[in-house]
Amino acid sequence: MTYQLTSALLGFSLALVILWLIYKDHMHTRHAFWWLAIAVTVFVLGFFPHLVDWLGLRLGVAYPPVLALVAAIGVLLVKILIMDIEHSRQERCLRRLIQRLAILEAEVKQCRKVKTKGS
Amino acid sequence: MNAVVRIVESSREVPEPVAESRLAVVMPAKDEAAAVAAVVASVRRCLPGAVVIVVDDASGDDTAAVAEAAGAVVLRLPVSLGAWGAAQTGMRYALRLGCDTVITMDADGQHRAEEIPKLLQARRATGADVIIGAYPERGSRLRRLAWRLFRLLSGFSFADLTSGFRLYDHAALCLLASPRATLLEYQDLGVLLLLRAQGLVIAETPVTMRPRLDGKSRVFASWWRVGLYMVQTVLLLLSFSHRRRRPKAE
Repeated sequence: MTYQLTSALLGFSLALVILWLIYKDHMHTRHAFWWLAIAVTVFVLGFFPHLVDWLGLRLGVAYPPVLALVAAIGVLLVKILIMDIEHSRQERCLRRLIQRLAILEAEVKQCRKVKTKGS
Repeated sequence: MNAVVRIVESSREVPEPVAESRLAVVMPAKDEAAAVAAVVASVRRCLPGAVVIVVDDASGDDTAAVAEAAGAVVLRLPVSLGAWGAAQTGMRYALRLGCDTVITMDADGQHRAEEIPKLLQARRATGADVIIGAYPERGSRLRRLAWRLFRLLSGFSFADLTSGFRLYDHAALCLLASPRATLLEYQDLGVLLLLRAQGLVIAETPVTMRPRLDGKSRVFASWWRVGLYMVQTVLLLLSFSHRRRRPKAE
């Protein structure tokens, strides 16, 4: 029962940390959803570790605990990929904003020149 | 100074082309204080009606002030975006001014303003959306080897794939000013691949160029940069390989 409790506690703590990060405005709810899903999975698997064995046997995995590791690595890879896609989106927005700032600055300067000439 | 005749009031990014053909010359510049004044002056002398836009890519010297004193409209980027990011800024601004044709050229004196009429003439003769001012003689042996690899991977048969001395018409400008082109790192092959993928016509015309008056190539500044450039360009070529289509004017 001890390792089940440890795993469940880990999941519970992770969920608490995520909720605290949202409360403190350190994490966007969009990203928090992902981490909460992981926390719930850890929590559930902590109480029902035989779920992994059951799934492993169904999928033909000879040593079922490996399935949990492979799944964890897969989830991390997907997460990193999503992070890079998000980073590219932000980079695009940032570049557009920097360009727009330079354009607007030039236009303001031009308007001031015209105004000065007119007055 | 070339008067900025009209700033398009609409908040739209891409205005409709105005009836009268309007030309802008866009020059990305980083630390080009020594050369930019002469280049701006030569463009103003050759094309008195054109708007000369110098995009200062967060220079550490007086590039912006010198260009402005020479009569250019200067856009100051607060953070360096690289040559393509700067060129795109100039294109976005040219569209806001209602320009329907843009010439891009380097601010280091390598590209000759006297050669711009050749680009305009080639545009009239071919009807292409983009004209590349080609001067393949400028390339070193290594650069030529890279061009050969790029030609092989891209299917382009242009002699000078990396020339920044180009003419873009309104259709090309609308595409290149859009967010779709914002994550490009360089203003050479990626731009051509994007244009071709959208069915725009690209043509090439021979021009002459000078050695740089000052400064050095930003792409070929070190072996590390060359490696980075090669890897990124080859990746782009591979990602666009399924859209390989030979432009009509080639």
